Amino acid sequence: MNEKKIILQVEKLTKRYGNKDVLKDASFSIREGELKILIGPSGGGKSTLLQCINFLVKPNAGRVFLDGREVLYSRKRDLYSYRQKVGMIFQDFNLFDHLTALGNVEIALVRVKKMSRDEARVRASAELDRVGLGEHVEKYPAQLSGGQKQRVSIARALAMDPEVMLLDEPTSALDPELISEVLAVIRDLRSNGMTMIMSTHQISFAGEMADEILFMENGIIVEAGPPKKLFAQAECQRTREFFMKIAEIYGESR
Amino acid sequence: MEELFFLQNEVAPALWKGLLVSCRLIVPSALFGLVIGVFVGVLRVFGNPFVSALANTYVALFRGFPLVVQLFIWYFGLPHIGIYFSPYGASVIAFSLCSGAYHSEYVRGALLSIKKGQMMAAQALGFSKIQMIWSVVLPQAFRRALPGCGNEIVYLIKYSSLAYMITCIELTGQGKIIASETFKYTEIFMIVGAVYLVLTSLAVWGLHHLESRFRLPGFQHYGL
Repeated sequence: MNEKKIILQVEKLTKRYGNKDVLKDASFSIREGELKILIGPSGGGKSTLLQCINFLVKPNAGRVFLDGREVLYSRKRDLYSYRQKVGMIFQDFNLFDHLTALGNVEIALVRVKKMSRDEARVRASAELDRVGLGEHVEKYPAQLSGGQKQRVSIARALAMDPEVMLLDEPTSALDPELISEVLAVIRDLRSNGMTMIMSTHQISFAGEMADEILFMENGIIVEAGPPKKLFAQAECQRTREFFMKIAEIYGESR
Repeated sequence: MEELFFLQNEVAPALWKGLLVSCRLIVPSALFGLVIGVFVGVLRVFGNPFVSALANTYVALFRGFPLVVQLFIWYFGLPHIGIYFSPYGASVIAFSLCSGAYHSEYVRGALLSIKKGQMMAAQALGFSKIQMIWSVVLPQAFRRALPGCGNEIVYLIKYSSLAYMITCIELTGQGKIIASETFKYTEIFMIVGAVYLVLTSLAVWGLHHLESRFRLPGFQHYGL
């Protein structure tokens, strides 16, 4: 079986605040259709890594390649067009409060992709249907539940036809009951071949769905491997400890 | 009977003339002031350090100088360096710039209240900074700034009365002329005051109407 092509490659990304390295020499690559999951304690650098990948946080060093081409992020035009191809999902949803669900999905299509309003409306409705929110298109964020908001934000990212999606703890701000509806959408994306990098504490989801788990602590990718290998025989003592602890807390929840 | 005759034939036409001048001062000054305020507010929050320092200086100057002094500078001062304005022109410029400085403060406060996460989300979608400000930040900030900006417009209606100091004879100016001809200071200025009260009430009513028109779920004010 021949290998799928590499979509995104990250090379020695480093971010410093003062003289503290919050991210140090992070390198990995992801192939088409893969799901990589970042796991590790809070403050370990997972968010910083994801935000450095699309340059919401400017890294101090390191390079990012999309489809084998380096992203020259100091050129604004290149940066904006790169970001259109990289969808991002945030822990706090970050919907635009003044727009309906439909408006949230539509706006980037109109403003950034320069689609006509009608075209954008059709596309936005389709994406909201896809995440099961067909009946809620006219609601404002203040009228939606957390799970619904997160699904709107996924629809908003999907509408841009991203080549890869970054999900930064997409379920951490949700009630246990709402977590499953968001994970179901992500599972669906996975089976439709979306390439994704996701940070989460949902260890059982990670075990079931990930192609590879990256364990991060103190800004460093300590260990990486398929879930089976990492769960059963992690090389690093610290990784084993973390998995044991997190399994106690989150093991049962999906 | 004589009183009524005097009111109808002398006071009413003069004050009406003054009222029209007042409106011609207030409406453009309010609009220009608002535009300047939004523009300067955005520069203060999102501009580079140099631009935002420049904008801050403007606000410090125009909020710090008494408005009468500003009017005197525009009308009596600038001709010395060869710049001439009509009394009306000088008044509109002074009012717009002063009002803009105050508006920018309300706008700035509203801009700072917009959550950073939404800006990150916009950038992550590929918005440029200007697109982000225009389509994500300003529509929300505008709603939050509206009550404060309305307050500034009510002030403007009243400080437009200073224009008569540089011989732009508006409502207060007309009142003063008739009052000093007839010595009926109390009556005339009660009427003048009442007209301003009507103007500010109309403005407050209009602004409330505007606020409710732009009200959205998540932006309403809850009475507790």
